Amino acid sequence: MDLSDLQTGAGDWLGGTGPESDIVISSRLRLARNLADFPFLSRATPKERGQLERRIQTELKKVLSAEDIRYYALPPLSPVDRLFLVERHLISREHAFGKGPRGVCLGAKGSISIMVNEEDHLRIQGLSSGFQLRATWEQVDDVDSRLEKLLEYSFSAQFGYLTVCPTNVGTGMRASVMLHLPALVMTRQIDKVFQAVSKINLAVRGLYGEGTQASGDFYQISNQPTLGKSELEIIETIERVIPKIIEYERTVREQLLEQRREVIEDKVWRAYGMLQTARTINSEETMDLLSAVRMGVNLKIIQDVKISTVNELFIHTQPAHLQKIERSELNSPERDITRATFIRDRLKGDSKNNGNGSSGRGGKGGGNHKRQRTK
Amino acid sequence: MQCEACQKKDATVHLTDVSNNSKKEIHLCDSCAKTQGVTIKSYMNKAAAYPELLTQLVQSQSDSGTEDKDLTCPRCGISYRKFRNTGKFGCAHDYVVFKKGVVNLLEKIHGKVEHRGKVPLRASDQIAKQKELRSLRADLEKAVREEAYEHAAQIRDQIYSLEGRADS
Repeated sequence: MDLSDLQTGAGDWLGGTGPESDIVISSRLRLARNLADFPFLSRATPKERGQLERRIQTELKKVLSAEDIRYYALPPLSPVDRLFLVERHLISREHAFGKGPRGVCLGAKGSISIMVNEEDHLRIQGLSSGFQLRATWEQVDDVDSRLEKLLEYSFSAQFGYLTVCPTNVGTGMRASVMLHLPALVMTRQIDKVFQAVSKINLAVRGLYGEGTQASGDFYQISNQPTLGKSELEIIETIERVIPKIIEYERTVREQLLEQRREVIEDKVWRAYGMLQTARTINSEETMDLLSAVRMGVNLKIIQDVKISTVNELFIHTQPAHLQKIERSELNSPERDITRATFIRDRLKGDSKNNGNGSSGRGGKGGGNHKRQRTK
Repeated sequence: MQCEACQKKDATVHLTDVSNNSKKEIHLCDSCAKTQGVTIKSYMNKAAAYPELLTQLVQSQSDSGTEDKDLTCPRCGISYRKFRNTGKFGCAHDYVVFKKGVVNLLEKIHGKVEHRGKVPLRASDQIAKQKELRSLRADLEKAVREEAYEHAAQIRDQIYSLEGRADS
């Protein structure tokens, strides 16, 4: 299956262009929907699953025709291709390695993806760069509104959109924001954030959602309850708390720079040095080092690397991406070599292109003085 | 208790006057009540008649089955027990069949049991009506609790008329 156009493009959401994108990587929002004429997938026969997929596929084409969409049935895709879509946050791991007829419909620019026959009949997802949940909601809401004209959803006046799992009922909406919080992790303040956030019924998860560990200092914050509040009320709850976390991370970064500039610079430069020179590197180490580099770029300690390059590297150094790039299946040691080579090349590319830019001024004047003093 | 009017005899007539959402209690003796034109009988009947009617109305909407572990959905064949074990419904109808248990569960998960978000366009008319009915019934319950029977009667009439529209 040809996913090559996706492979070269990074997906708009990785561009590092959205609001607050030094700390907020992406905003994501999904709606769970089920068709009234079919049993839930937990009880559907393989035949019914097939009918569902065809039915939804037909209507999706009508609704999204203008947006240059593609539908991929998952069973024929190779495991690498499926994992590739997971790494790109376009489908869930469960969906990639589930059973029976199922698929994903991808909108242009990698910002809309619709999973068909995941846990619910439909999971409509929108993904955007930076902190823009509201715009993402509008995008997803629009697709949903166009679909509901053609498909009758399971809906109850009291319980809202009916879902397989009672944790999704009501709005069927999960809104989440992916944050990069290296300074809060470094200073062990992150637990305070977790505690505060869980008090207002928001959940904290790792890079790849439910049940995954936080790596690369990435954390996803999302709404827990889906029932009893409107979509915008849920979004507002998240919108109120995220700026406080952003502020907290920024304050701690500044404090670190003021009080322990050498320590921070050392961490950043060492990480950058390792990535520029390593000959073999595993995924975990890559995430840790990239996290430090990312913070370094945002603090203008490193000036010849683009933030979009770092963002892309987080995704493109994942196992399936590397194998797609190399066009062959690689075992783990082979991947580590390919990964190291790929990172060196990408970083070299940036410093070449930005050679002139790096001589320009950056960072805070005060910071530079301090650095000169300590020399 | 003394009569509030003559301050002599024992008060035997106890009135609760509800106006502008505030409750005022008046205590009078038989003769003062008569001279003030309070017809004891009519008040008593009204007061007795409304709650009965209203309780029925209130009950009819909260009566929604029991949390029976042995319930089975006739459409998808899943039992309530199985649902609780797997945490997954078999079809949309389960929400109706297991309603009592579902309400308790949703209360625990979400802290709330009423949808307040988006409504599909094609369902919106009917649902708006149902929503209004539910909110009216809540108002009615409140009115009954506050013993605002006049107001409650108005709400009841509104409910009847809405339900009448629903039948037609």
